Amino acid sequence: MHPFKATKKYLNTYLPFTRAGIQAAMAYRSNFIAWFVGSIVYCLVMYYIWLAVFNASGDGMMNGFTMNDMTVFLFITALTNFLTDSDGSYDVGEEIKDGNIAMRLIKPVGFHSTFLFTEIGWKLLVFALIFAPVVTGVEIFKYNAYGGISFTVIHFLLYMLSMTMSYLFSFFMNVCFGFIAFFLKNLWGFNIIKSSILRFVSGGVIPLAFMPDGLRQALEWLPFSSLCYTPVMIYMGKYSGGEIALRLAVQFGWIIVFYLISKLILSTALRHVSVQGG
Amino acid sequence: MKNKRIMHFFKEIRRAFRLQRIFAALHLKKLMEYKADFVIGALGFLVEQVINIAFLAIIFGRVENLRGWGYYEVLFIYGFSLFPNGLDHLFFDNIWNVGYWMIRKGDFDKYLTRPINTLLIVTVEEFQVDAFGKLIVGIALIATSLRHIHLPFVWYDIPLALIAILFGMLIYTAIKTIFGSIAFWTKRSGHLMEVTYNLNQFSQYPVSIYSRAVRGAVTYVIPFALTSYYPASYLLRHTQPVFSILAPVVAAVILISIALFIWHKGLSVYDSAGS
Repeated sequence: MHPFKATKKYLNTYLPFTRAGIQAAMAYRSNFIAWFVGSIVYCLVMYYIWLAVFNASGDGMMNGFTMNDMTVFLFITALTNFLTDSDGSYDVGEEIKDGNIAMRLIKPVGFHSTFLFTEIGWKLLVFALIFAPVVTGVEIFKYNAYGGISFTVIHFLLYMLSMTMSYLFSFFMNVCFGFIAFFLKNLWGFNIIKSSILRFVSGGVIPLAFMPDGLRQALEWLPFSSLCYTPVMIYMGKYSGGEIALRLAVQFGWIIVFYLISKLILSTALRHVSVQGG
Repeated sequence: MKNKRIMHFFKEIRRAFRLQRIFAALHLKKLMEYKADFVIGALGFLVEQVINIAFLAIIFGRVENLRGWGYYEVLFIYGFSLFPNGLDHLFFDNIWNVGYWMIRKGDFDKYLTRPINTLLIVTVEEFQVDAFGKLIVGIALIATSLRHIHLPFVWYDIPLALIAILFGMLIYTAIKTIFGSIAFWTKRSGHLMEVTYNLNQFSQYPVSIYSRAVRGAVTYVIPFALTSYYPASYLLRHTQPVFSILAPVVAAVILISIALFIWHKGLSVYDSAGS
């Protein structure tokens, strides 16, 4: 088939999932607004802790961060986490538990693609409702704090690219985690463990620059920093051109690895699947 | 007449304790069946706390103190905050379900048919063992910090600490109940509960690091700081003894009264959603 036609057919098949995702997100908007308010509270607590830390240390600059940098870091990190987070593991897990996965498997659509396109619908709404106001707020803060406009279109576009890759990585990684539901019933507890650890190793709790050297280097090469730290550093202009290229390449590499792993798990799991009840 | 009512009240309380024991035993039996799930649930909350502690450890690698509070003092305050929080989580977790789905799905009806106070039966029905994750971290933090700091200890600090923890727990329960009750009118208020509950993150650290407005809010408006910072700092330094212990008690009594009032108001407007 002609590649253009193939793409069109693909989109025709999956865009309805995106539409359904947007509708679901509209219905549950109070859900993610509450969640976002929660992460703003977390940002504020962290903000005051860092304020006390910078006050106590007496230096205006710690590990390449000023207090203003840290403020931008906290809010952009919260935003990035919010946009790149994927519920894949929960959805896959729930469907495995209640047997609905059978309905998905008998339809002539890709297993990954249906989840992916539904979630993209959610993300589009989050983007409209939360992303724009927060970025505007952060830029106004930066304008006041640094005196002058420091917003560059190229950094912003690279940030968007990196964040999209973060999301894809997060999606495939979470699908892998979702299959753990084959073995566990308490997905809730498992998800808390997973997200707490991920927040730490992705540089979401504390910038990787503040961690002990060996740990920092390890975390920069492991896949998790690409979840959050890489796009945020790009947004803040902390990486040089060469570093950006390297970091994006690392992100891309890990997406491929986790895509392949999730495919492998899926095909192995499907050979063993036995759906109970109905 | 009055005597009779008091007698009745105490009878109800005794009954509540007995029910709590029965339900707790029931849950523990369930646990034995799903041991791995219990371990994972408790481990989840444990890991969440450990990550926060790792953050504090990294920060205190750089600075000596945060607005006058040293590392081990901050650990003590953080650890103390986990007791009221964890106990409320252990005993009164079911209120979340009222806010999130019980009223919306009509499942709340079953409580109306029970011959006991509705709030009582809702709260004793669930026994959330995941909370042990928090309590274990709390004990570990207090134990660690006590090895490094010297408390100005007198014997009555122990009953005072227990009183503060008990009433701190009730502050959590009351705030959850107040916002959970809103679901009687709106069918669902879980997210509102979550937003308010999340403010407790402010209470895990010394409130002296916050701006005046934030400090005022977490002391007088949604008073989570009364469950942790104030009693803990009294135990650490014997400062503000009257306020630190009395304020949590007064706040808990006021909030519980408001919670009971709103709950019963809500019950009177409740009509089943059903399906």
